[in-house]
Amino acid sequence: MTALLAFDGLSKDWFGVPAVTDFTLGIEPGSSLGLIGENGAGKSTLMNMVGGVVAPSSGRMTWQGEPYAPATPADAARRGIAFIHQELNLFTNLSIAENIFIDGFPRRFGLIDRARIAATARSLLQRLDLDHAPDTIVGELAPGERQLVEIAKALHREADLIIFDEPTTSLTPRETARLFDVIARLRAEGRTLIYISHILGDVTRVCDQVAVLRDGRLIDHGPVADFPVPRMIRAMIGRELSGLFPDRSATPSPTVIFRAEGLGQPGVIETISFEAHAGEILGLFGLMGSGRSELARAAFGLDPLASGTLALADRPLTGPTAARIAAGMAFVTENRREEGLMLEAPVADNLSLVAVRAFGRGPLALLDREAHAVATERARAELGVRAGRIATQPVKALSGGNQQKVVIGKWLMADPRFFILDEPTRGVDVGAKYEIYTLIDRLAAAGSGILFISSEVEELIGMCDRILVMSRGELVRAFTPPFNREQILASAFREAVT
Amino acid sequence: MSELPPAGITPRPDIRAPAARPAGADLGQRVRALLLSDYFVLYLSLAYFLALVPFLPTLSTPGNIVNLMSNMWPLLVVAVGQTFVLTIAGIDLSQGAVMGLTSVVVAMLIATAAPATVLANAPIWGSLLTEQGGLLAGIPFASAVGIAAMLAVAALVGLFNGLAVARLSMPPFMVTLVTMIAVAAFAIWLTQSNNIRELPESFISLGKGDIVSVYLGPKLESQLPRREVYSFITWPMVIALAAAVFAHILLNRTVFGRWVFAVGINRKAAEISGVPVARVIVTVFVISAVCAAIASILYTARLETGRPTLGGGNFLLDVIGATVIGGTSLFGGKGKVIWTFFGVLFFVLLSNTLNLLNLSAFHIDMVKGGVILMAALLDVVRTRLMRSAT
Amino acid sequence: MTRLQALAAGTILAGAAMTAGSASAATICFAFQDLETEFWVAGHGAITKTLKDAGHTVIERNANEDANRQLEQVRDCIAQGVDGIILIPQDGESATTIVAEAQDADTPIAVFNRPPSDLSKGIVVVADNATIAGQAVDSIVEKAIAAKPEGKLNAIIVVGDLGDPNAVGRKNGFYAAINKHADRFDVTEVASQWDAATALANLEAAVTANPKVDLLFTSSDFLFPTIRSVFEPRGLWKKTGEEGHVWMAGLDGDATACQLVKDGFVDATGVQDLYFEAEKSLEAILAAIDAGEAQPNEVIEDPGFALTTDNLGTREKDMWGCVLLSQGFLKNKS
Repeated sequence: MTALLAFDGLSKDWFGVPAVTDFTLGIEPGSSLGLIGENGAGKSTLMNMVGGVVAPSSGRMTWQGEPYAPATPADAARRGIAFIHQELNLFTNLSIAENIFIDGFPRRFGLIDRARIAATARSLLQRLDLDHAPDTIVGELAPGERQLVEIAKALHREADLIIFDEPTTSLTPRETARLFDVIARLRAEGRTLIYISHILGDVTRVCDQVAVLRDGRLIDHGPVADFPVPRMIRAMIGRELSGLFPDRSATPSPTVIFRAEGLGQPGVIETISFEAHAGEILGLFGLMGSGRSELARAAFGLDPLASGTLALADRPLTGPTAARIAAGMAFVTENRREEGLMLEAPVADNLSLVAVRAFGRGPLALLDREAHAVATERARAELGVRAGRIATQPVKALSGGNQQKVVIGKWLMADPRFFILDEPTRGVDVGAKYEIYTLIDRLAAAGSGILFISSEVEELIGMCDRILVMSRGELVRAFTPPFNREQILASAFREAVT
Repeated sequence: MSELPPAGITPRPDIRAPAARPAGADLGQRVRALLLSDYFVLYLSLAYFLALVPFLPTLSTPGNIVNLMSNMWPLLVVAVGQTFVLTIAGIDLSQGAVMGLTSVVVAMLIATAAPATVLANAPIWGSLLTEQGGLLAGIPFASAVGIAAMLAVAALVGLFNGLAVARLSMPPFMVTLVTMIAVAAFAIWLTQSNNIRELPESFISLGKGDIVSVYLGPKLESQLPRREVYSFITWPMVIALAAAVFAHILLNRTVFGRWVFAVGINRKAAEISGVPVARVIVTVFVISAVCAAIASILYTARLETGRPTLGGGNFLLDVIGATVIGGTSLFGGKGKVIWTFFGVLFFVLLSNTLNLLNLSAFHIDMVKGGVILMAALLDVVRTRLMRSAT
Repeated sequence: MTRLQALAAGTILAGAAMTAGSASAATICFAFQDLETEFWVAGHGAITKTLKDAGHTVIERNANEDANRQLEQVRDCIAQGVDGIILIPQDGESATTIVAEAQDADTPIAVFNRPPSDLSKGIVVVADNATIAGQAVDSIVEKAIAAKPEGKLNAIIVVGDLGDPNAVGRKNGFYAAINKHADRFDVTEVASQWDAATALANLEAAVTANPKVDLLFTSSDFLFPTIRSVFEPRGLWKKTGEEGHVWMAGLDGDATACQLVKDGFVDATGVQDLYFEAEKSLEAILAAIDAGEAQPNEVIEDPGFALTTDNLGTREKDMWGCVLLSQGFLKNKS
């Protein structure tokens, strides 16, 4: 059987630095290939070559046995290759139907044939179980729904090969379940898939083949049945991971470091009370929309609170964000790009942003550049951020995991006693996740209290001393070890399931 | 997820440096380094100057150089203020109006006399201003107090702008557009649009005061022989350079400067990181207005007149044009005082050469627009090069 | 309005250069505060051609209504070594500074259209807006009172941009004339900001509020078409002698006003004698250059005059607008 898409010794180097080396693999029609690898392993470059964004340095591709050398993304689309990207390429100000037809509107008497657009779009949406009118503006849809619109676009183009790049990163569990449903249907229709993800469980679930990239080379591949998760990880990072989580190096002290009492904001959160201890990692689990991020933002003074009191080390915590930071609080936002980092600014400036005041000298607060350079370099080394010259390299040039380390690391110089970490490992690959867990453990061991918010139950179970569960703005239950995964999920779904 | 080429490597093939040739990768490198240099606009100005000297002999005469510099200083001060505002992704349209208002304020305080025939209808007549001059006329250090009043009035306007932008989250364009209209109208109302002359010598000297002048003997080119005395080091030069150096230190070397960039690059991230965003925004708008007031000192002194319409017309476009040509981004997060210095230099040089070319009045504006467009295009190329380097 | 004058200056300078061009080839810097293309095209062409024909060079500088820029431009002219400067300043105060600047650099300078606040320096040709406006308004006030000896009369003044001293002077001249019969007039002020759209809106509002109008003075003739568009539908646009005629006067003396005076709709327009002003400026500058005088100081009065329906026959040719009209100016435009 001819492979739908075959790679033959495909290589790409950037000015002599290899990104993909001698990649050879065939993808059978109707198969579903899981493509995994750490950040920087070459997945994006490989997919960019498939998509006609970059040209290979050597080697070739074939499409249904014919030589395939796309010069532009349009070439790839014409052959029937569709991409569902991590950052979706939709026009949020246009309707669903307009987005689906954006490449070419059907015309009638020289005018756009709105009726036909609406009809086609409606049938596509039905196939995907997306319950919205075709003229709904895409900006009003949830992330998962937007992704389905992307898929509808691919279906409309009759794509034979659909490439998913980290599709579940910003989805709720329910949206993820629906996506997998759709993927199953696409496979049943005989479409071929390439599925790129860091969530190895998802790969096992969605794919029948696995290919592992490391340092631009194909390290391992085969049927998914032969690829238990440990083998995937070993192939990806090139060594054994003793476990997914580091051992906790210290136990919590009895001292309460942070206390929230009766926090409430109508329509968002209701009478939330909890305590966190010094050295404790307190997990907070909740689905999207459960109010977990809203709680964090309100506690940090970013959103208003109608009622309730907060205390840090027995001192009342009030006032604007800056005052709470001065009191010893830190907040790692779930939204790294929009709220966490100054993407264009150098790594060093990002690392010192919170504590920059400490480098001011004299009445004008002249920056002590030497001290700044020393301190930021020390922070970089402590965090294990892999970067070039941190004084000039913009943080956007770092990989996701290293960026996330910077988001956490910028707080360290301010020496906070209580951290709120909102999804600290989102969009981060396995190796980097482990490093971030280690970092969290170190913070706790140093005596800080930590509120660890996540929508991945596994990591909370792996890292936390206690786990609180939120649902519809309320704290519904607190769990202590040994944790029961099903019970945690069930209490989170309490209202949502029934 | 992205595989990025390491920093500082040769340009990507899709970005062709103007002079890059297959054999000249090295040359391409150099062109690239030149384009990305902080001094690029300075080089551009020098190249432009040298290219035109053979055709415009007047360009390099001492008299013209002195003109160039004296045109540059006040504009530089205003543009430096604008640089701060642009760096936080704002814009200050009210600078010109602040110049007009402060010009009136100082004149009505320190004028040594005022004609009733002209100013009797002005609301300030009789109280602040009489035939004997302004309120402070004759008192010791009147000029210094008058200047302090200018700076205070400007700071108030800046405070208003800043508070509206920071606390009410209004767009800077709207806020400063409104202040521009209101402040300009207020300035005109104060004097009923009349100008106030008769400023004390101590103030006027700030506009032209020679510190170092050179006498080059009689000049014989025109039909009437002329003395040639050139003022090379003047008060405007000292004041403008002092302001620019201070601004440079403030923006690049202080904690406050870091905060300015943080707010400009990502306001949300700055807020979450405890940067006093509101205070930074307010301060930046105050700086902008105070810079306008300082420029107003120079312009008012040089014209020897308090003018409510000072800074009107196209003046603001010159300011923003010069700042952006220097390389400061309208989108925020990218700005340097030294860039603005070179931008102003280029802009003033451009106006000067266009005047010397004796083009007709229409052609001057057309060429000027064209050159600004070229500069903007070059900026786009530079930005792309910078992106590709990361 | 000022643009009209700029044009006038252009054409006239051209004429003056021919008659006064006795100095050997000179380079003259002509710095003006603003231009409006339509009028400038004609003036500009004429001035450069004529000066060239007479062996002179003219360097033009447009300050775009910015006094600072004008100062910088004059400095550039001086650096270039021009022999003399003719200036239409932005305002009297900056004119004084610029005159001092030029004289300090031993370059003769003449100013017209707006006098410097200090008349003692430079060659200054002065016309008084208030006097000219007064002449024009006087003539219609007399006629209005003669036509209606009893009761109150409603007068409207369309004022200009009060940032322009010309506008202030014209307003003062209007009141000087009206106040001779203060008890007979109720005055409504309509702001125009020298902008036709603004004038239209404000005048409509005023006329709607009080539809009875006896007399109108516009601070500039260029607003007559606007006034017509408001008056005509309300039956207020009538020729002299017709029932319901509004006594109207303007100032500037442009081609439209000339036509309207000829037709009898408008009764008077006050006019600066720009021919006189420009000619005198150039004459005096060239004389100073010939005499080797670097700082000539002289005040030349421009008497100005009001062109009325009564003196149309004798004074028509002295008004630049009428000259343009006779050259078919309005025909080319419409």
